[in-house]
Amino acid sequence: MMLRRLQYEMAGYAGPALLRFQEWQRLRSRKGKKSKSGAQASPFGPPLECVGKLKELMSLHYLQGRYADGAVPVAWVTSGFPIEILRPLGFHAVYPENHAAMCGVVRMVPKLSDAAEKEGYARDLCSYARSDLGCCILNTTPAGRLPKPDLLCCCTNICQTVLYWYKALAERFNVPLVLIDTPFVYGEAKPHHVAYVRSQLEELVKVAERVSGRRMDLDKLKDVVTRSKEGARLWGECLATAQAKPAPWTGIDGFFHMGPIVALRGSEECNAYYRMLRDELKDRLSRGIGGIVNEKHRLLWDNLPMWFAVRELSTLLAERGFNFACTSYTNAWAEAGIQIDPADPFGSGASSYMHIILNQDLGNRLGILTRLTRDYSCDGAVLHSDRSCKPYSVGQVDLKERLMKEMGIKVMMLESDHNDPRAWASEPGANRLTAFMESFA
Amino acid sequence: MTNSPGSISRGTYALRQKKEHDRRCLAVLPIYYPKELLTAFDILAVELWGPPGPPCGDGAGRLQSYVCSVVRNALAFLQSGQADAMDGALFPHTCDSLQGMATLVTDFGGWSKKSFVFQHPRGSDRESAKVCVEQELRSLAGELEAWTGKPLDLKRLQWALDLHREIDACRATLLDQRARCPLNDVELYELLRRGEWLWPEEHLEELRRAVQALASSPIQKGIPIMVTGYVPEPEGILAALGNAGAYVAGDDYAAVGRRVSRSAKHLKGDPWAELVERYGSVAPCPTRNAESGMRMQYLKSLCKSSGACGVLVHVQKFCEPELFDIPDIRKTFAAIGVPVLVVEGDLEQTLSGQTETRLEAFVEMLSTAGRPS
Repeated sequence: MMLRRLQYEMAGYAGPALLRFQEWQRLRSRKGKKSKSGAQASPFGPPLECVGKLKELMSLHYLQGRYADGAVPVAWVTSGFPIEILRPLGFHAVYPENHAAMCGVVRMVPKLSDAAEKEGYARDLCSYARSDLGCCILNTTPAGRLPKPDLLCCCTNICQTVLYWYKALAERFNVPLVLIDTPFVYGEAKPHHVAYVRSQLEELVKVAERVSGRRMDLDKLKDVVTRSKEGARLWGECLATAQAKPAPWTGIDGFFHMGPIVALRGSEECNAYYRMLRDELKDRLSRGIGGIVNEKHRLLWDNLPMWFAVRELSTLLAERGFNFACTSYTNAWAEAGIQIDPADPFGSGASSYMHIILNQDLGNRLGILTRLTRDYSCDGAVLHSDRSCKPYSVGQVDLKERLMKEMGIKVMMLESDHNDPRAWASEPGANRLTAFMESFA
Repeated sequence: MTNSPGSISRGTYALRQKKEHDRRCLAVLPIYYPKELLTAFDILAVELWGPPGPPCGDGAGRLQSYVCSVVRNALAFLQSGQADAMDGALFPHTCDSLQGMATLVTDFGGWSKKSFVFQHPRGSDRESAKVCVEQELRSLAGELEAWTGKPLDLKRLQWALDLHREIDACRATLLDQRARCPLNDVELYELLRRGEWLWPEEHLEELRRAVQALASSPIQKGIPIMVTGYVPEPEGILAALGNAGAYVAGDDYAAVGRRVSRSAKHLKGDPWAELVERYGSVAPCPTRNAESGMRMQYLKSLCKSSGACGVLVHVQKFCEPELFDIPDIRKTFAAIGVPVLVVEGDLEQTLSGQTETRLEAFVEMLSTAGRPS
């Protein structure tokens, strides 16, 4: 236990230097390669300087995670889980969705999914779940090593799939599973639903105290909630810079830069990072530097990204002057978190975590999409019809029609999957996107 | 509503109920809802499991092809006006797709009449969930009072609870004593599924008659199997099993056996507490966050008590709650040497020849392998 704790702390202290050295080595070798092949002109603006810091931050999180089990209590949590309650109790949080996205980016998913399918999980199930279960079955991860959980924490505000997925994990790891069940919100949440979520948050404290062996310090909880709210506000500020023309970054950048608000929400490192990012984006604004070189059209992206093809898609679009100025997915992390009140972590937390885009009615969703379209001056939208995410995809056919009618923009639906490349036909997909872009001429 | 045993369809029956008894009719989506409360308000519940077959009308195109056909068909059905005999619709929040459909039709059209939702909490054994269930039931009762213009009569609610308890007891008897029942699977399931739309008192009468007709000793000659899944559709699956020489001895269909309340305490004098109790006393269901170990234990005991020598897992395509449990089901029964066959059904399609052949091969294998020790 002492040794594990020492390793965990050491990874935190020495990790940044080690990661910077690795990054320096990587850039050095890449520089050599570039000079040999000769690079083509990129349709993108100069890369954000913060990218290095982002990589360092997220890599450090995973590096520390390698030594977390046995050193500190470890919780595996869903992205929409009220993590604020676990932080004061010293939990190291692992986000299987974030980790699955990492698997998607490095194109490990077919292999992982095959392993899950061999155990009987159908290919029609969410590809995040298949990726994660595949990692557990094969005992592999692109992160080096994931710490075993002491507690599994799942909140149904993003979907009910996470409940079935985490039940499978609970059985595999034989650890307690805490469920925060959030009734769906039509308009305003019903008082007895808020009370229900609140009482579950209070039940969570008891379980988390038991697992961590610590007592909840309410002052610390308020500090975490304050930081979490501030983090959401800062993330919102970063996103809002893209309202300018040209947008200083792309929505695709946003998918990657949302890592800290998902996985490190409530920590000072998260907020420090977003201050840095915001300042850099504002600096780019003042100097007229765009996320893409020649921004002619601005699009809205709805739903999760296709992690395995983000570069492919964004390049195809950027080459023709199209930029995803905003995405409903990244925006979600800026909206709910700011509603939380440090003075009332449980009551406001219950309400805040219920009012997530996917836990609200489609009328609300349409309101968000029209507001984003207007605020970010979008003249088109791509609705990613995501086979793996039904709560996000149900209703898109109607949303498409209404966005076209009410906002007078061009909208296309693109069917794929957020993590499984086998559900994406690259050439027909590119053809459809190209035809869509030609319609703007 | 064309799923019509005998000569009458659900829609025609509903119209007759309105005319002869001045009852309101409510289309109800799967799976769990407080039917006792509707009965107490003199509302006829007409369940909408799809219906099966190709979706009628354009409404199905509003949902992607990877959304389960129970939901796609139901949307198309409502939107095409085929449920116009209904006065309203009730959407239990069973899964993400049904939840999405509930907001889709109310926010963007497809169902212009009154809509109710029933948001049952996951993990109903938790104290917070029990409190929430009762409040949700009271909230729904309040909405029904406003809709019908009638206050809820607690004596009538108690009467409805007693009525549904007896219905469940009869259904449990027929399912548990399957081998003594002279009906074949097609006939038995037609009878049991009439409970999805008949006025409960009428359904109880036919159930009583079926219970009285039970033989004193087992008369079913085929290979007994247990089935777990969502809904026995396409219907041809039951006939195919019969033709192959098997019969359903143990039922864990969400639409049928899984909803039978067997262990609810009789809490005379407190109908709300009894309603909550009944809600929590049905068999473990993945859509309600049943603890996995508990569900597997239940399935094993059902298999044993029914004398089934094989398990048919009959899932609807894209039904996540059911699909996630398949590995566990396989493992559980492999450990006790009971063969398992997984068949994916799709409400939109008839039973394929391939599936029929797989069923035949499975039953043939069971008939030569003998029963588990």
